[in-house]
Amino acid sequence: MKKLFVVLITLALNGCALYDAYMMTGYDPNEYRIITEIRTDAYNYKHQCPNKVMSEANAMLISDKTQLFEFYSEQIPGNDNGTRASKNLNEIAQGLKTQYQNGTAVSPLFCKLKFTSIENSAAVLQHVIAGRPR
Amino acid sequence: MTLDEIQGQLAAMANAGDPTFSQFANDINQIVEQAKSGQMSGAEVKEILADAQRQLAILEDASQLAFKETLNTCINGLITIACAV
Repeated sequence: MKKLFVVLITLALNGCALYDAYMMTGYDPNEYRIITEIRTDAYNYKHQCPNKVMSEANAMLISDKTQLFEFYSEQIPGNDNGTRASKNLNEIAQGLKTQYQNGTAVSPLFCKLKFTSIENSAAVLQHVIAGRPR
Repeated sequence: MTLDEIQGQLAAMANAGDPTFSQFANDINQIVEQAKSGQMSGAEVKEILADAQRQLAILEDASQLAFKETLNTCINGLITIACAV
């Protein structure tokens, strides 16, 4: 009976989705820490958008952190979905930084929507990173 | 498709009851309203709408990850049972 179970599971693992799921990346406390920091920063920074000096500095800080998250995620084996998501999150943050670097006037509403997008996306990623196999 | 038609479709999605995408459609409709009232420049609106596409991609990847996590738990459970038999 035991052998039958093992054989059945081994055969089932030939299915690509099952193999991916079995071999998926486990929980990484550093990854969880970084995404939690990004979410917390975005939550705090969105309230500072009316202050142009602070919001520009905040845009630089959060784009550095999302860049760190992308670089950290991309070298983790078996982490295709995580890598793609980290790239998209970083693009959202880099877009805000670029607006400030271009020297064009950045509206407080744009700043708030950007940080809200970062916060919401980070919350989604935080949820799945927390749920990784331990 | 006119702007009114697009906003009509977004409003229909917002009222469809899907917990994730209803809120998402509602947010986009609000962005369109704010753009119409001139609170953001054209470039800013374009960038925010591009962010909406990026957020959809993140949701898709997160959904796949959540599915794999559930599957992983099931496989490990089966292996544990198999080893105990």
